[in-house]
Amino acid sequence: MANNISVIADGKKQFIVVKIGSEQYGIDISYVDNIVRMQKITRVPKAQPYFKGIINLRGEIVPVMSIRTKMDLEPDVFTDVTRIIILKLEEHGVLGILVDEVKEVVTLGPSEIDKVAYDAKNNKSNFINGVGKHGEELISLFDTNSIIDETENV
Amino acid sequence: MDVSQYLEIFIDETNGHLQNLSDCIMSLEKDPENMDTINEIFRAAHSLKGMAGTMGFKRMQRLTHDMENVFQEVRSGNMNVTSGLVDVLFQCLDAIDAYLENVKESSEEGTDDNEAIIKELNDILASETGNAPKKEESKPTEKEEKPKETLNGEKYQKKYQDIEFSEKEKDELRTSEEKGLNLYGITVYIQEDCLLKAARAFLVFKAVEDYGNIIVYNPSSQDIEDEKFGVDFSFYFASETPLEKIIEVSKAVSEIEEVVGEKVIYKELTVAAAKKEEEEAAKEAEKTKAAENVPASVVAPSKQPQTAKKQGQGKPVTNRTVRVDIEKLDALMNQVSELIIAKNSLVAIGSTSDGGTSGANSQAFHEQIEYLERITTSLHESVMKVRMVPIESVVQKFPRMIRDLSKKLDKKMELYMTGEDTELDRTVVDQIGDPLQHLLRNSADHGLESAETRRKRGKPEVGSIHLNAFQEGNNVIIEVSDDGNGIDTESVKNKAIERGLITPEQGAALSQKEIIDFLFMPSFSMAKKISDVSGRGVGLDVVKSNIETLGGDVEVKSVLGEGSKFIVRLPLTLAIIQALMVEVRNEKYAISLGSIETIEEIIADEIKFVQAKEVIHIRGMVIPLIRLDQLLDCEPEDEERESLTVIIVRKGDKFAGIIVDELNGQQEIVIKSLGKYINNSTKIISGATVLGDGEVALILDVNTLF
Repeated sequence: MANNISVIADGKKQFIVVKIGSEQYGIDISYVDNIVRMQKITRVPKAQPYFKGIINLRGEIVPVMSIRTKMDLEPDVFTDVTRIIILKLEEHGVLGILVDEVKEVVTLGPSEIDKVAYDAKNNKSNFINGVGKHGEELISLFDTNSIIDETENV
Repeated sequence: MDVSQYLEIFIDETNGHLQNLSDCIMSLEKDPENMDTINEIFRAAHSLKGMAGTMGFKRMQRLTHDMENVFQEVRSGNMNVTSGLVDVLFQCLDAIDAYLENVKESSEEGTDDNEAIIKELNDILASETGNAPKKEESKPTEKEEKPKETLNGEKYQKKYQDIEFSEKEKDELRTSEEKGLNLYGITVYIQEDCLLKAARAFLVFKAVEDYGNIIVYNPSSQDIEDEKFGVDFSFYFASETPLEKIIEVSKAVSEIEEVVGEKVIYKELTVAAAKKEEEEAAKEAEKTKAAENVPASVVAPSKQPQTAKKQGQGKPVTNRTVRVDIEKLDALMNQVSELIIAKNSLVAIGSTSDGGTSGANSQAFHEQIEYLERITTSLHESVMKVRMVPIESVVQKFPRMIRDLSKKLDKKMELYMTGEDTELDRTVVDQIGDPLQHLLRNSADHGLESAETRRKRGKPEVGSIHLNAFQEGNNVIIEVSDDGNGIDTESVKNKAIERGLITPEQGAALSQKEIIDFLFMPSFSMAKKISDVSGRGVGLDVVKSNIETLGGDVEVKSVLGEGSKFIVRLPLTLAIIQALMVEVRNEKYAISLGSIETIEEIIADEIKFVQAKEVIHIRGMVIPLIRLDQLLDCEPEDEERESLTVIIVRKGDKFAGIIVDELNGQQEIVIKSLGKYINNSTKIISGATVLGDGEVALILDVNTLF
């Protein structure tokens, strides 16, 4: 299921590169509906701790998740470059995730993507389904489905 | 032939006939001699058969045909309605319903022949009437054949002779003739039991138009399209093809009984028409009497009394209703919601912008906003009303269900229903069926005692179950009550202790209501043995969650030995509500106005403690207090306020006071879902809404606070 990411010519995939903390992450562009600036997030009492709340996206209510909280990183610090990436997932609907900064869009061929060789017990790696090599940089590729999966480490 | 475009009508009408049949058979069981009911059943069965035949559903046709045979015998007094017969008839209805379900899903009727039921029907028919079941050629065909033989000359008149021409039509006729085309006058008779007459007419026209042009229609083509005609229609036709061919292709259309026609000469036609006009003047008096229908019967009312009558009886094509896809209404509703949000932003701008700067302008602006507000509110109401349907469509199947249950459980019971015309939003009505059905089953199975026990207790042997629906404020209440045993709270409590849900000590402290709440827990069944009807423990919890998804709730009142009452409370509208906006630590929340009783300012010192819980004593009532900031995990305030704003909310006969920081006035809000991601297990937040300034406010469901 993790591999049904968009395929452009000769098996290449496009990713949006974002910064969370000191690391760079890639999000499969086919899931990205929109990228919006930070705006007022309305807290929802009693929700899971990693849900920051909800925002109004052109009249639609969109829940916003803190990927930092979900990955047990230190809490979000909101700056001018903080963005909310709006993901659109078939059955589940729309979801926003908070990122520190949006860098660029990269195209990675199959040869540039390595499968994760992390320790499977490491929770953090559960969100990653591959590492992309772009020039000198390494980009952890999010497994979009596991981000929204409710069952694991809450 | 492609009948798919009629499929929807077929499904709809079949549903109607089935329900009608079911109702009639129910009342027939009580009053087996009632000729009107028998006739009604006969008619419905006959229509069903005709429609199934038209649509090419052979199995369905066969079954309904055999049902019709039975009623034929009942009608002619050759057999009596027995309980056994009624049972079989209900089986037939279920079988037809199953066919219909198949049709709905796949446009096919399925492959179940239901031989067993047909055999049973025919057996009853044979044993009751003493002769073998008459096969295919029974009643309806006879009816058709006979008149055909005897009345042939009279019945199929050349009605086209009665057509009056307008000047334009005369012109067309003349020019066609001058071009050397043959003019034909043709009258087509459709079988009386044909259900899609307009479609047949259309097919006839389509067939003949391959050969020439239709110049004059009678009735008008519009009326034919709208099915505003009896069993016949006439037209004049210009063509090079010989008449025989035209008649042949017309007859090739199914369910066309007869086609009569001849070649006509324009000159004779006009002369005849002129003659007709004279006659007509003489018949003026008669004409007014029969004037309601097509010109054909107007001109010759006395000649075709049978047809005229038939027209009167045939279902009138009403133009006053429109069938609308619920999705279109949903879309409309969404747009109205958007409009209301846009309006709310205008209101917000209007109230914040410095109105003083441009005096007159600002006043005009405010007036227009108020105007807009009125319009959007009434537009919303109208759209809501369009979506409202009576709960009848759901509850009408219940009498039948109770009858079946009565047989199955071997208990005598009667269902009394009131308020079937109470209206609810379509989406609610669609989903309320199952929960209600469950509650009724529950009453029938667990509620009512056996006849023997009832006798001992001095209750009437026949148990009664009531289903009452009515509107109360912004809610619709549906009560399901029975005069049975009621809920034995002691045994529920013991069961809960047995299941380890509570300790005996805890049990002793529970209120009756808290004990009854156990019944709504998943897989908590009180039935001593599992039956077909209920007792698997998947029940009341599902009822409860179903109703809660619809924004409603269930309450139970029960007196041991006297019966119990389940009260289902449903919101009238789903999408847009009037709400009071409140603020807690700068967070905005909306509370539905429907549940708010009063708003009070109290002094902190007035708060008293009962069982370590905060309460206030207002106008003779002790009301528990809920601090919204604590409930919603807000940051505590540095200092306790001296004066507190309390919103007194009400659910049924219970009250609670909610302490908030500030009131922000009343507003019409559009309810939006939080989506699936956010875990909302406490259900305190029932949704969110977008405010005029684009900010999001959460909607509190105060019903969860009780």
